[in-house]
Amino acid sequence: MDSKFKSYSRATLAMAVASAAMLTGCSAGSSTPAATDDGQPIEVWARAGTDAATTYAAMFKEFTAKTGVEVNFQGVPDLDQQLQTRAASKKLPDIVINDSAALGNYTAQGYLVEVDKSTVEGNDKIADSLWDEAKGLDGATYGVPFSRQTMVTMIRKDWREKLGLPVPETQEDLEKLATAFATQDPDGNGQADTYGMTVPGSTERGYLGWWASSYLWQNGGAYLKDEGEGKFAANASSTEAQEGVTWIKKQFCTPGNTQPGALTAATSVASPFFQTGKTGIILTGPYNFSSFDTSLGKDVYEVIEAPKGSVDNTVLAEGENIYVTASNGKPEQTKQVIDYLVSADGQKAGMTAGKQPIVRVPVNGDVDAAAVYNDPRWAVVQDALQDSSKAFPSAINFVPIKQVAAEALNKIVSDCGADNVESGLQALDTAINDELTSQNAKS
Amino acid sequence: MSHTTTRTSPRTKRPSSSSRFDSALGWSPGFGTNMVLRIVLCVLVFCIFALPFAAIISGAFDRNSSPTEITLLPKTFTLANFEAASQQGLWGYLLNSLVIAGGGLLLQMTVSVFAAYSLSRKKFRGQAILLLLVLLTMMLPEEVIAIPLSLVLGDLPLLGISLRGSVLAVILPVGIWGFSIFIMSEFMKEIPAEIEEAARLDGVGEFRMLFTIILPLCKPALGVIGIFGFMMVWDQYLLPLIAANDPSDYTLTVALSVLRNDTTVGPGVLLAGAVMAMIPSLLVYLFLQRSMIRGITAGATKG
Amino acid sequence: MTSAATKPAVTPVQAKRSSPPPRRRKGNRAHLLAVWVFLLPAAVLALYFKFIPMVEGIRLSLFKVQPFLGDVFVGFDNYVSVLTDARFMDALGHTVILGVTQTMGALVVGFVLALLLEGQAKSLWFLRTAIFLPVVTALAVVGEIWRILYFPTADGPLNTILSWVGLGPLQFLNGTDTALWSIAVVGIWSGAPYNMVIILAGLAGIDRALYESAGVDGATVWQRLRYITLPALRPAIVIVLTLAAIRSLRSFTEVYVLTGGGPAGSTEVWMTRMYSLGFQRNDIGVASAAAVLLLVVTLLLTVGTQLVARRKAER
Repeated sequence: MDSKFKSYSRATLAMAVASAAMLTGCSAGSSTPAATDDGQPIEVWARAGTDAATTYAAMFKEFTAKTGVEVNFQGVPDLDQQLQTRAASKKLPDIVINDSAALGNYTAQGYLVEVDKSTVEGNDKIADSLWDEAKGLDGATYGVPFSRQTMVTMIRKDWREKLGLPVPETQEDLEKLATAFATQDPDGNGQADTYGMTVPGSTERGYLGWWASSYLWQNGGAYLKDEGEGKFAANASSTEAQEGVTWIKKQFCTPGNTQPGALTAATSVASPFFQTGKTGIILTGPYNFSSFDTSLGKDVYEVIEAPKGSVDNTVLAEGENIYVTASNGKPEQTKQVIDYLVSADGQKAGMTAGKQPIVRVPVNGDVDAAAVYNDPRWAVVQDALQDSSKAFPSAINFVPIKQVAAEALNKIVSDCGADNVESGLQALDTAINDELTSQNAKS
Repeated sequence: MSHTTTRTSPRTKRPSSSSRFDSALGWSPGFGTNMVLRIVLCVLVFCIFALPFAAIISGAFDRNSSPTEITLLPKTFTLANFEAASQQGLWGYLLNSLVIAGGGLLLQMTVSVFAAYSLSRKKFRGQAILLLLVLLTMMLPEEVIAIPLSLVLGDLPLLGISLRGSVLAVILPVGIWGFSIFIMSEFMKEIPAEIEEAARLDGVGEFRMLFTIILPLCKPALGVIGIFGFMMVWDQYLLPLIAANDPSDYTLTVALSVLRNDTTVGPGVLLAGAVMAMIPSLLVYLFLQRSMIRGITAGATKG
Repeated sequence: MTSAATKPAVTPVQAKRSSPPPRRRKGNRAHLLAVWVFLLPAAVLALYFKFIPMVEGIRLSLFKVQPFLGDVFVGFDNYVSVLTDARFMDALGHTVILGVTQTMGALVVGFVLALLLEGQAKSLWFLRTAIFLPVVTALAVVGEIWRILYFPTADGPLNTILSWVGLGPLQFLNGTDTALWSIAVVGIWSGAPYNMVIILAGLAGIDRALYESAGVDGATVWQRLRYITLPALRPAIVIVLTLAAIRSLRSFTEVYVLTGGGPAGSTEVWMTRMYSLGFQRNDIGVASAAAVLLLVVTLLLTVGTQLVARRKAER
């Protein structure tokens, strides 16, 4: 009896292993199937919350009305996780609209196919510098620019005027203003419950590395040096970078200059401090205009170009590209979608079709953001983008570099007593170089 | 067999049910320093564990909930957060969650009861390995199997069916939970073999045996796996995410975590969503508390 | 069957002891059929949704995973990169500290809660429900509340309370020395009510006659706890410990929402490291390797706990 039972359970185990092996065998195939048209509407994904998704939907409705081409649009909040699972089964959506910085990651994974710039209608309306940002390590173009923006500095105007201080023009001014906001009771409630800057200092998603980049550049520093031909080297411990990080560290280590808890704050934790009038300074993107207008009021805060560091007032530029994936089998519809998205009509629709703009600053030179929005604050964004902005290199996968930068900076600013700027940045150099090497992008 | 604990004998001896032999610490029923001490401790414990929720509720009804201080009452009462929450489609996600939690729990309990019946009331070779495998299913971090699981969901091996986008893609995987099988078989082991053998002599078949003899005896255990199972399904995050074909398939738990990362929405809406998400679990707990407390009893009194 | 009482009958010896007596020979076929009919649903679901993905996950841990370019076999390279990553080793240390503190803390607090709130009075039913609130609240929101409670200025809620007894102010989540402990407190706070429920159930099952006879013998409350209550609770405690150990090794969300691993990496745990090392840079192979290692550790710990518990029970 026993042996019978034994063989039974053995058989079950064997079955389990066998079927597991079968699945394994199936999914281990390495050749990508040729993408074919399945006759379904073209599938477009974009990283979008509910509000942005509404705008996208309205924009594609206009597109379908114009061209008769049906679009299956999905606004996906957790886009990269979803793409990973879709990639595993080799069924990516036809088109993905996502951060320009995602390009390096996607090309490294083989998600994308080349885009022939010359076939894009109106490609000359898009600045060459933007097209350059859409190039992969091999020099080919893998994306079509769709929207751009920069970080801008927002300041509580009423607080600043109450304390009789000028609009900050240098980093020193900004620092003084932050200290004044923290110590001179700008909201007049008699309590020391206000602070200077809102800073997302968490390492979560590399937030600190993202926020700090602008101040680093303003002092002439950088995380990376572009050595040309798709090769990079770490450059985070230069004297200029040390100067920038020293300034950043000072803000963390002067009580009140940054909001309490900044070291572990993600943006979702940090921005309510500005929104509820606890801090008076924030460096962030223009997408926050509408929520700040609602919670604070439009007249209460001012939008300025970043104050100058020892070199200039460079700020971080970001944006979205249109990517064509390797499983796209619909060249005709794809061309129509792209042509529309970068046309003047498409760009305007992306700015105004819904509550939240999905095209922030248009890439099409014929469209003027400040005029379309009828809001001078957008002129500040547009000017900063044109004159003094810089983007993270998009040919490599920058996410891990942003992450190691956040980790290194978080460590440096956590320990106020230590003289650790130089050693911390040298450690960051090593980490960045290791990452570049693993990406085959180290010079 | 084990001396199954009976509380009847001391009960019959005692006229009042509240005696100082009723609890491990011997809390006496009358007023006295003892009672005062207990009340003070209870108030303290209540403040520590439950008071922060006044802050959630207050924040959910407040226009601008403060990131720096706990407010027990909203400063400016508003329903705007709930309106914004319904604009974000949270009611739809709540519905998804309820469907999935209902279906998933039903399947999970059925599967667990069946498996536990076999594992605890039958004897066969390989049982030990199976029990270990049951525990193993509890230990797999979901993150490990997320990608492979998404492959399975997109194309069931041998069957070639894609579950993605249907509620089954969440309901079927949560149907297997080691915890439920584990607890359930512990309970079933407790039932004396004599009861089963007597029924068998009467010619009772296996299914009737399970449903009319065994299950009524471990009704309390069903309460236990009910509440913990509900919470397990309710809290699923990664699974609904990879099983979704598009965002309208998300559950409330997924939607809340998405909201948290959307700075344009604001904390009040997140809190409003949290209140919505709390209520079903709390109701299930209230409903099952009695049976659950009697439930674990049986499992825990052996030895 | 008294001594075979405790949890999963891991060895055949024990299974034999605690099962109904062997069946007569002519019932074999039907018996066998019944065994598998009842096991079938669980077996099919487990195979499809647990074991096939697990085997595939183990396979992926040996590859550089890039579905569109073709996976490349790399042997144990992924394991090497996990095990040689210095931060991973730090994270392991934090995971163990956090796991032990949370598990033990939640057990002790849960035990105290259960002793305090044992009873049939209406007010106790209400209190027990209120205290269950932390368990049913989304972790993301628990994180938001505690961030406010831990507000690191002198007038933050907890610092105010500390100042009444002449302590603080503390940096809590923001200090490299205090952050990990602050997270552990949150874990205990949300884990203790869970344990309370299980322990309460154990308490309710203790034969009241034992308390009465202890009373007659003039035993103190302490002796009663030590010699009657605790031994009777052992099975419940083993359940609690096993579950808590499995859960706390996988701590992720609470760390992520409270500190994101900072400040200065002082709260980085296994899962957050796995997340930034694997998923964030799209390296599924490394992430899988880290996860397989975690699985092995959990398995060893669980089997170890069971063996210790069983040996104690047999003594």
